[in-house]
Amino acid sequence: MISQLIGAVLLGGYYAVLATGLAFMFSVMNIINLAHGALIVLSAYGLYVLGGMMGLPIAIPIMIIVMFVVGLALHALILARASKGGELLPLLATFGLSIILDNLMFQVFGADSLSLAPLVGDLSWASFELPGFIFVGKLSVYTLIAAVAVIAGLEWLLRRTTLGHRIQATSQDRATARLLGIDTARTAAIATGLALATGVIAATALGLRTAWGPYAGSAQLLFAFEAVVIGGMGSLWRVLWGAMILALAQSLAAMIHPQGFLIGGHLAFLLAVFWRLRGGAFSLNRLLGREVRT
Amino acid sequence: MTFDFTRRSVLLGAGAALGTFVLGRSQALAQATVPLKIGFISPVSGPLAGFGETDGYILDRAREALAGGVTMNGTGYSVELLDRDTQSDPSRAGQLARELINSDGVDIMIAVSTPETINPVSDACEAAGVPCISTVMPWEAWYFGRGAKPGEPSPFTYGFHFGFGVDEFYRAYISQWDLIETNRKVGVMYPNDADGNAVRAVLAPRLVEAGYEVIDPGAYETGTQDYSQQIRIFREAGIEIFNTFPIPPDFAAFWRQAAQQGLHRQIKIVQTAKTGLFPGDIEALGTLGNNIASAAYWHRDFPYTSPVTGLNGVALCDGYEAATGRQWTQQLGASLSAIDVAMAALAAAADPKDKDGVAAAIAGLTADSIAGVVDFTTGPVPNVAHGPIIGTQWQPSEKGPHQFDYVVTENATDPNVPVVGTLVPYNA
Repeated sequence: MISQLIGAVLLGGYYAVLATGLAFMFSVMNIINLAHGALIVLSAYGLYVLGGMMGLPIAIPIMIIVMFVVGLALHALILARASKGGELLPLLATFGLSIILDNLMFQVFGADSLSLAPLVGDLSWASFELPGFIFVGKLSVYTLIAAVAVIAGLEWLLRRTTLGHRIQATSQDRATARLLGIDTARTAAIATGLALATGVIAATALGLRTAWGPYAGSAQLLFAFEAVVIGGMGSLWRVLWGAMILALAQSLAAMIHPQGFLIGGHLAFLLAVFWRLRGGAFSLNRLLGREVRT
Repeated sequence: MTFDFTRRSVLLGAGAALGTFVLGRSQALAQATVPLKIGFISPVSGPLAGFGETDGYILDRAREALAGGVTMNGTGYSVELLDRDTQSDPSRAGQLARELINSDGVDIMIAVSTPETINPVSDACEAAGVPCISTVMPWEAWYFGRGAKPGEPSPFTYGFHFGFGVDEFYRAYISQWDLIETNRKVGVMYPNDADGNAVRAVLAPRLVEAGYEVIDPGAYETGTQDYSQQIRIFREAGIEIFNTFPIPPDFAAFWRQAAQQGLHRQIKIVQTAKTGLFPGDIEALGTLGNNIASAAYWHRDFPYTSPVTGLNGVALCDGYEAATGRQWTQQLGASLSAIDVAMAALAAAADPKDKDGVAAAIAGLTADSIAGVVDFTTGPVPNVAHGPIIGTQWQPSEKGPHQFDYVVTENATDPNVPVVGTLVPYNA
């Protein structure tokens, strides 16, 4: 029981890493990026190729820079235009992008299941032994630490830096921000870049804990989206709690019956949806419990 | 059968009269021919793409061999292979089959790999009255999964399937697991999908009958991220054999978590199906992939030759590796065997353009293929022919060039296949 609870908390760390980029992008730009999962898988392929050449510790920072630049391009080429067309258009645009990316990655990398684990020796299955014959996977612990670090870093950026204040201003009222002299397009582009850069951390966690193929993105998107909805917006810390609740719901359901793992998560997600939409019409802001950041 | 004594039929009639077909390569022959169209449907992209990845190479070899046309019962035919990619989507598979039937007018259909591909194609062919040859899925899911009832006459006229069933898995596993001394406690992880539920219902009880203690924590959903519950149950039960039918990402996640808990040190045989069909699945596991046991529906050491291409297993795989730089996979032989059987089926009929005649001929067909003899007269049920499942192991390669060698460790379901390897305990 204790070992399952520890496992759930650590799994929550993984979901939080997956979800942070998605939540950041929505809170800043009002865009639900349905290509989030595919972009994580793209990062994973990048890590696989670069990591094979120069080792993972060097590949990760390089990929963070690469994906930041990809984010800038993504914003300039697709998101900036799509978001002029209302709430639905970016959703469709990113959905289309995810399909293109899935098939592009299949064309380039083929159907093989790949994993980053062979690049790091035994780390993917090494464990700490706690008293009472409890083993805790080292990788899951590091993933949770990374999740906390990424969220803390982004929160610090948003609250304590000029760039963060600009991002918040842009997200709250683009027109007014522009009146005050903020280059909102540039700010939004940087925010997209940051969101994609956090995806590299998610890709590292994904690639080390399991294997992926070119079509693995949608499954990652689902967990990320559920964690974001359960946690709600307002602070990125809520994503961490959302991810924990998702993982706990899954693990508790799996304790009742192994088949319940995914269903438990979906149930928690649906409860969160009903809670947020109670007594009102549907909107993305309501669904994600968006509040003005204070 | 017609006997017009032209120079050509005198030369070729003997072979044709036996119901086999002869590859006619002469230019003169190719000119005076009737076209034969063969549909070939497989998953080349999408999540099942591992199965279809090698089909392009197989189709190239078959087209090369058939370029000069064939002679069946004294008539020359040109052969056109029309390949289609299901993109791993069952509804698209059915739609492609209907297009091939209605627009292209195929004379026979081939469907390869997984229920998601084969069942919709077989259904479309059955409805349209087009003969269909399929392989690489458990025949039970093809036969009973599409509405046939045990003990009743077969409801299918045009669909024919060959290959393994649960019984072959049972015989291969029993034979494989007897190779190493264990406590006969088998932990099983079968997912909640067509394959998983079939093996849970049919295979697990037979393992119990054979004296194995089966520890089954229950079905899990594909995509599950945390397996601590199952791992705890396996650890407490002290299993020494582990058997599972997962997709590769689920197995990678499960097996790493199991290793974190130390489970891998107590297990002597890790017998996987579905994961472990292709070398990439095992390479993705790193050192944890060493000595995972698997089961193959085809292997390069199969001592058979493809009548269509004239290639044997070794020549086919060496050619593939030279052309692509990638390690051979068992799908190479499986896909080619379907083409072998389809050509034999067309040749067995009095007129290969007569769909009812072809379908009737397949029911009594015994065909050679690169996967061995495919005999529809001795199948477990009508419309089905047996195929083997051979116990294998992924052993770290000492000589290279690939990371793992795929070694045959037992041959209970086809004694002609040479056993060249020894099963190594996983935790050795």
